[in-house]
Amino acid sequence: MNYRKNCEGKTRTDGATSSVAAKSVSAKKPQSFFGERPLPAIEMAPRVLRYRSRRDFLLFGTGALAALAGGGFLLPQETLSRIGVRRNIDSPAKEWFLNRALRIDDDVAEALYSETRRVPTYTKSQITPLKNNYNGATPDPGYIPGWTLTLDGLASGLSISLDFRNLLTRFSVHEQITRLVCVEGWSAIAWWAGLRFDDLLRAYPPMSQAKWARLESSVNLDASGNRDPYFMSLDLATARHPQTLLATHFNGYPLTVDHGAPLRLLVPMKLGLKNVKAITGIMYVAEEPRDYWAERGYSRYDGI
Amino acid sequence: MNRSAALPHGARSTSTLPEQPGVLVVRKHHFLVRWSHWLNVLILLGLILSGVSIYWASPIHQHKPDPNTGNTDVAADIGVWVCAHVPGLHHYSSPPDWIYNHMSLGPGILGLALRLHWFCAYLFMLNGVVYVAGLLGGGGWRSLLPRRTDVLGALRMFRYYVGFPFAKLACRKWPHPVFNTKYNALQRAAYFSVPVAGLLSVATGWAIHKPMQLLWLAALLGGYNAARVWHFWLMWVYILFVVPHVILVFADGWDTLRSMIVGWSTRVKRSEVVTHEL
Repeated sequence: MNYRKNCEGKTRTDGATSSVAAKSVSAKKPQSFFGERPLPAIEMAPRVLRYRSRRDFLLFGTGALAALAGGGFLLPQETLSRIGVRRNIDSPAKEWFLNRALRIDDDVAEALYSETRRVPTYTKSQITPLKNNYNGATPDPGYIPGWTLTLDGLASGLSISLDFRNLLTRFSVHEQITRLVCVEGWSAIAWWAGLRFDDLLRAYPPMSQAKWARLESSVNLDASGNRDPYFMSLDLATARHPQTLLATHFNGYPLTVDHGAPLRLLVPMKLGLKNVKAITGIMYVAEEPRDYWAERGYSRYDGI
Repeated sequence: MNRSAALPHGARSTSTLPEQPGVLVVRKHHFLVRWSHWLNVLILLGLILSGVSIYWASPIHQHKPDPNTGNTDVAADIGVWVCAHVPGLHHYSSPPDWIYNHMSLGPGILGLALRLHWFCAYLFMLNGVVYVAGLLGGGGWRSLLPRRTDVLGALRMFRYYVGFPFAKLACRKWPHPVFNTKYNALQRAAYFSVPVAGLLSVATGWAIHKPMQLLWLAALLGGYNAARVWHFWLMWVYILFVVPHVILVFADGWDTLRSMIVGWSTRVKRSEVVTHEL
């Protein structure tokens, strides 16, 4: 060990002061691997010590200032104005940087995803209440009788419109009791039934270059009740997962308007915000489509 | 690992400058340990502030809605209580938000807080790797391992800290327990627990972040909801650690604080190396 060499060197040059350190080293009998070793002691010229301290303090000070500036730069404008910073420091660079970090996290989520992994299923006794978490106002149920689902970006090149009866008669119904996890942190276990997204993809295959689905709910409303279409991106790999349903039933009953009647997406391996309620259109596209919450600063892939 | 990078001229400088009396120092903290230590101050602050902002969106500790306000959040109750009882806060504009306005990035910014939290979380994991590399490179990990005598040693230290203010007031001598290790038993317990807490925070964080793909991890921690509770309370480990840590570093003196910046300490004799710092 290097320090021992130092100590020995020192014992040669200076017997009096080094006896302590030398003793502490020699007191070290054969040690177990986990046994604590004495701290390496060395004799330093005061000049060198001063120089090194000065260097380390300068480095530390510079680093601290840089880190504080960097940290302050990354803080949300809302936080800064609360602590009295009036000037707007939001910049494209900051957005770019933080969104880049989000993309990395999305890439990690995508790497973790496995098509063969199933989300856990529960028993009916484990069902928990699920609140209506419409971000805006809940739509008026008036849209339900005339509801249709429009499919675009199909291999056939056609635009298909399906009504509720079409869906229920053409596809077999699957049930699952799974957990829905909200980005806010809460979760709920519910009993869902509906057709598999995969079955719809097989019945109406998307165009060959399609990698994404864009799901839209044109009946979505904002908080003051104005039209605010909800659109969401879903990778086709997740759409083909056998536990990805286009749900028609909730806890044994047809979906209520609160839960997205007549058809909602149930994709338990994504955050709740991907589980679009009252879907009115699905479009298959090659490039990643826009996403309602990604445009509001949330992540894009949202795999959990 | 180039040890000589930290303190290179040890023996050589004394031989080239024989007249100048040398200063005997001990190498206390590896430079990677020092860097990760200070970086962690900011990263943890960022994680806690953004974490409380995230907590706002769906508090773990809730009760039945208050008949008057409809409030369910315990943290909001605390804010209301603070504003009602602390002088000067009676006219605070929104008492339920007091905690979030003062101890987080702010309420109502979930998306921004999540983005920062994950960014800080990746830094935290990287920093943890740097810290462990420093512990291994400098051999410092051995000083953190718990040992059989630690229960008794911790009790002695605890008795010392509790009695210290009274002894000072009574002008009585109150000798510091003697240890011939780098840290005393209480320090060791604290310095060992904090990295373990860091590891658990990372594990519970991943369990919350990816409860479906990392199902085994969430299950190991008692499920998704339990992982959230763990993750929240692990924050308190850092807070409860930092308060006495900072107080005792200042109580212990300049040498201890400086050693975390420059790496060396002039407290060479084993009995002197025993520090009061927790």
